[in-house]
Amino acid sequence: MTAIAANAGWRIGIDVGGTFTDFVLTNAEGAIRVLKVPSVPTDPARGVMNGLGLAAEMLGLSLGELLARCAILVHGSTIATNTLLEKKGATVGMLTTRGFRDSLEIRRGIRENPWDHRTPYPEVLVPRYLRLPVSGRFDRQGREVEPLNEADIHTALATFREEGVDSIAICLINSFLDPAHERRAAEVVRENWNGRWLSVSAEITPIMGEYERGSTAAMNAYVAPRTVGYLLALDAELGKQGLPQRMLLIQNNGGAIPVAQVATKPVTLLLSGPAAGVGTLEYFSRAIGSDNLISMEIGGTSCDVILMSEGRVAVSDQLTVAGYHLAVPSVEVHTIGAGGGTIAGVDEGGLLFVGPRGAGASPGPAAYGLGGADPTSTDAQLVLGRMKPGPYAGGSVTLDGAKARAAVAEKVARPLGIDVEAAAAGMIRLLEQNLLHAVQRISIERGHDPRRFTLVACGGAGPMHGATVGRMLGCRRVYVPRLSGVFCALGMLHSNVRHDFMRVYLDRLAEAEPKAIERVFAELETQANAALTTDGFAAADRRLTRQIDLRYIAQQFDVRVTLDSANQDPAAIRAAFEHEHDRLFGHHQPGGIVEITKLRVVGIGILPPLPHAEAAPAVADSRAVERRRCYLDAARGFAEVPVHAGASLAPGHRLQGPLLIEELTTTVFVNAGDSLEVDASGNFLIHLAPA
Amino acid sequence: MTLDPISLALVQNRLDHVSQQMGWVMIRTSRSPIFNQSHDFSCFITDAAGVLVSQADGIPIHTGGGGFAVRALLKEFGGRIREQDVFLQNDPYTAGGNHLPDWVIARPVFVAGRLVAFACNRAHQSDIGGGAAGTYNAAATEMFHEGIRLPVLRLVEAGVMRDDLWQLLMINTRTPELLDGDLRAMLGATQIGAEQVQDMIAGLGIEEAMAYFAGILEHAHRRMSQAIESLPAGVYLGEDFMDDDCFDPIHVPIKVKITVQAERMTVDFTGTGPQVKGFKNSSVANTYSAVYTALSAFFDHRIPRNEGTFRGVRIIAPEGSVVNARAPAAMTMNTVFPAHQIIKACWRALEQGDPARSCAAWGPNSLPTSAGRKANGETFVMYHWGANSSGGAVKGRDGFQQIGPMITLGGLTIPNVEIYEQLYPVYILRHEFRCDASGAGEFRGGNAVHYAVYNETEAEYSFRAEGTRTPNSYGANGGRMGAQGRVEVWPDGGVSFRPPAYAQLHLPPNRLEVDTPAGGGWGDPLRRPPERVVRDVRDGVVSEGVARDTYGVVLAPGRRAADLAASKALRERLRVVAAGHAD
Repeated sequence: MTAIAANAGWRIGIDVGGTFTDFVLTNAEGAIRVLKVPSVPTDPARGVMNGLGLAAEMLGLSLGELLARCAILVHGSTIATNTLLEKKGATVGMLTTRGFRDSLEIRRGIRENPWDHRTPYPEVLVPRYLRLPVSGRFDRQGREVEPLNEADIHTALATFREEGVDSIAICLINSFLDPAHERRAAEVVRENWNGRWLSVSAEITPIMGEYERGSTAAMNAYVAPRTVGYLLALDAELGKQGLPQRMLLIQNNGGAIPVAQVATKPVTLLLSGPAAGVGTLEYFSRAIGSDNLISMEIGGTSCDVILMSEGRVAVSDQLTVAGYHLAVPSVEVHTIGAGGGTIAGVDEGGLLFVGPRGAGASPGPAAYGLGGADPTSTDAQLVLGRMKPGPYAGGSVTLDGAKARAAVAEKVARPLGIDVEAAAAGMIRLLEQNLLHAVQRISIERGHDPRRFTLVACGGAGPMHGATVGRMLGCRRVYVPRLSGVFCALGMLHSNVRHDFMRVYLDRLAEAEPKAIERVFAELETQANAALTTDGFAAADRRLTRQIDLRYIAQQFDVRVTLDSANQDPAAIRAAFEHEHDRLFGHHQPGGIVEITKLRVVGIGILPPLPHAEAAPAVADSRAVERRRCYLDAARGFAEVPVHAGASLAPGHRLQGPLLIEELTTTVFVNAGDSLEVDASGNFLIHLAPA
Repeated sequence: MTLDPISLALVQNRLDHVSQQMGWVMIRTSRSPIFNQSHDFSCFITDAAGVLVSQADGIPIHTGGGGFAVRALLKEFGGRIREQDVFLQNDPYTAGGNHLPDWVIARPVFVAGRLVAFACNRAHQSDIGGGAAGTYNAAATEMFHEGIRLPVLRLVEAGVMRDDLWQLLMINTRTPELLDGDLRAMLGATQIGAEQVQDMIAGLGIEEAMAYFAGILEHAHRRMSQAIESLPAGVYLGEDFMDDDCFDPIHVPIKVKITVQAERMTVDFTGTGPQVKGFKNSSVANTYSAVYTALSAFFDHRIPRNEGTFRGVRIIAPEGSVVNARAPAAMTMNTVFPAHQIIKACWRALEQGDPARSCAAWGPNSLPTSAGRKANGETFVMYHWGANSSGGAVKGRDGFQQIGPMITLGGLTIPNVEIYEQLYPVYILRHEFRCDASGAGEFRGGNAVHYAVYNETEAEYSFRAEGTRTPNSYGANGGRMGAQGRVEVWPDGGVSFRPPAYAQLHLPPNRLEVDTPAGGGWGDPLRRPPERVVRDVRDGVVSEGVARDTYGVVLAPGRRAADLAASKALRERLRVVAAGHAD
């Protein structure tokens, strides 16, 4: 796999979404090609191969030629997520410690909204009759107090065979302290069961907490056969067609990983799409000249917010997907139901609401004419003149202004007793207030002041709201990438390979034996180096980072500190911990006892960074293609604004708002008083007028 | 003034966000686990008259209680409130409190010199003195045994902290470092909330803002009025009970008569038992909150929960009864008991108005706490949260198998065994479902659990087990009662015994077992789909005998499916038998 680090040839990012599959291709000169094709949900691999064929055609190559010249192919896939959502996973059998069969079904009683008590939990992934007990126990110090009873495993396997189990998960109490029983149980299973899929909890995520660790193992077992089967088949097909090395996948932690290594841990792919946003932010941070960024990616139904502070996006061990709790390193993404297809209405008490429900791709907004009767934000934008009727998104849909107006009139304006334009403006104002709150949440809750950040507005609907939300936040600048609509696929091209390794280590910081800690770090680094070597990274292209999770005694959440050469000794670690604790929680305890909970090593395989292609500078002023009556804001109401074609704007252009820019898959709105600049790479930087 | 409907929606949405944001700041800056892990607090905003306009994300049993505190404040200090003042209060008898550990910080908001609102929070403190560490003194018979009582105090005077008062508070707690940090977190959160409310009102104009606040209350009122009107007019009776006053077995009825007339409702507790000797007496604020929780959970969780919501609800809580005790009755336990029973009594009454929406009872908490020293000398207080009970069923779902207390609607979560073994000197032996405990029904109650733990050190135990003497997790709409609980202790070198329902006991190392009370079922068990009954049998949570006798389901040979013909015949026979009993 030495070719992974090669710098020549094309890089291809593929983001398979529910509706569209996005392709972004780039090469060492920074040339970028973009392609959007409909997904084939019944056979996603066919969608990918079709799209690659079209991409090759676009470059005047055959598929074989394109793949042969491909240095890196990165795949972000919703296959694991869809397996879960469509309930197409495996029949899973689970081995648990005797006396503790039910943690998977009790779920620690965690429910998102306690008030909503009539909503049931999602179906438990492994029914109780397939969660079978095994005797054997380690105590809290990792001492064996009862040996593993192998006869129990044979009994369980007999049931699993009888019940047609095709994937087995193992989670035993205290295996995070000593995995010997889990390992031995896995051996017994392998020796006596002819099935292929085995998920062992401490191997997947050796965290403390049997519920989250077991839930992760069960989910891994559930999605593995279908997910891994699909990925390996696609990888083999790509190889057959000429791809010289194996494809990479985007994991929940925002990093890439070769397909071979993810085969045992498909659970790390459940956040694959949005997590690629980290790569995108890293890429743009160079163009923007700031590594304090908040991205707001707004699609049809939802808005994903990611915060990058000083170049780092927080990765936590918690992830919830469709109501299931997982403990694998995952990028912190805050998602709310707010997008182009978000539905507005008036409740029984006469109050306007927007979201969280969306109209999806079908029927979609009323303006699509596919039978949707509920007004969405897209319909409101049409009423407000910010979007125009007619063919949209390359002609894949046609927007019907009259249908949009009728839906807003009937479902919002009439019940509220106001005119249709006021109703549409109200819908957008409420939606934007929700977006504001989403950004405030991820920043303020984590102790960041959003005013210090540049807001990156992306996704199909993001550029319409970026300037308004940015102003409400108190930001001074909003960045709108030209490739806003393929945000995640773009990020895949700029994601380094990443492996996370972790060990629970419980000791007081002041009393911990430095040599013992060093030993664990060294072991984790050996694992990280081995993985990166397998991936084909030379020593010079590997970056290993040590991290340590700490807390004050009796706290139940950790604060993560990244160690560098300057803070290896306990006093320096403590100081770094206190600094971070201050930022997160507003205080620290001067005399408080600090405990270590986990030691981590993050192994990064550095892919050569791609340059930002300099776009050709402007040679003439951009002229508006039309002037359109459009709503600006509550104070200014409607005004005639110039509309520019995105294609006519080039580096060096500076324009004063108000204005609209129409791109193929998005519209950028710039308000009066704000100014727009096209930067060297051809993206838009909006300078906001002070409020 | 005519309200702009768009601004109304924006103001409502913004106010809720400000309340939530105060909560994030609380979690971020507080010290004690009871705030930042158990989330035992609520943040709220009232208008200048103390009417609660917004409360978001608070724990359910705090619902609507905030207005009592601010109105008590206005009664004491009305006309003398200055800019930059901040008030502190907790007393249920004089200061609108619900129980003593919940302290309220109320920060007035001024615009152009005029008092326009209050930004507040209410939060359970880690220790407030009194007869037992950690605020719960099961031996208390008067409020004086439970901790320091605070009337409405001006803690900050025109921006200057009253240091003498601060010192008074600090010397009245066993954990001054936590109290200091947590009070500062409360002050900081209300500061941020007050600034945002101030900006908002200044931006709108005072008169306009007041009109929008009124509009928000009116909207909530309309939503709840429609909900109440969805019930047929009539008188609905509900009853629940406690079987212990913390000292002796005693029947304490909680009786409620709910009268629905069009969009109005009266909730009358006349006939409820007199206040009791122990600390299970409710305050007015707590009783109102429990009623509000019952109504919000019964109707629709999307209806906003401000004081407008409950404008059409009149509550009658007779003075001297266990739902409105006279001073100085002890009452720290009231947010759990009798709040649990008040909610159940209300749900039972509402069931008669609409059986389809009825809610079966959740199992009451029967979990003890233990406090002692670890081998290294550190003190610990452990809540045996692994012994939580299970939920009751509603139409459309079985009861939650094991869930946090009903008065939090399950908002408190259950710890991992592995984490508890690291934190406390315990070795947990068992934590898994009971069989045949759930209340049967078309939707059955939660299974509840067997919890068994070896406690490795001697320790001080506080037992407060409801639902272990008499089963009373009623079923709804034809569903059956959930099983009662059992608490048993095997001291090292001694004989096993069942502790009294409420007791403070010092025990040597021991094995403690709790079979937790289970929730009730919803609907006729004979209507449960046979395949679900088979699944329960295969899962080992319903026995074959109960499947046959209660659910009318006979298993086919191999026990993987129902014998549908035999089950149909059996169900018909059982229906005839049931009809015979009814005659």
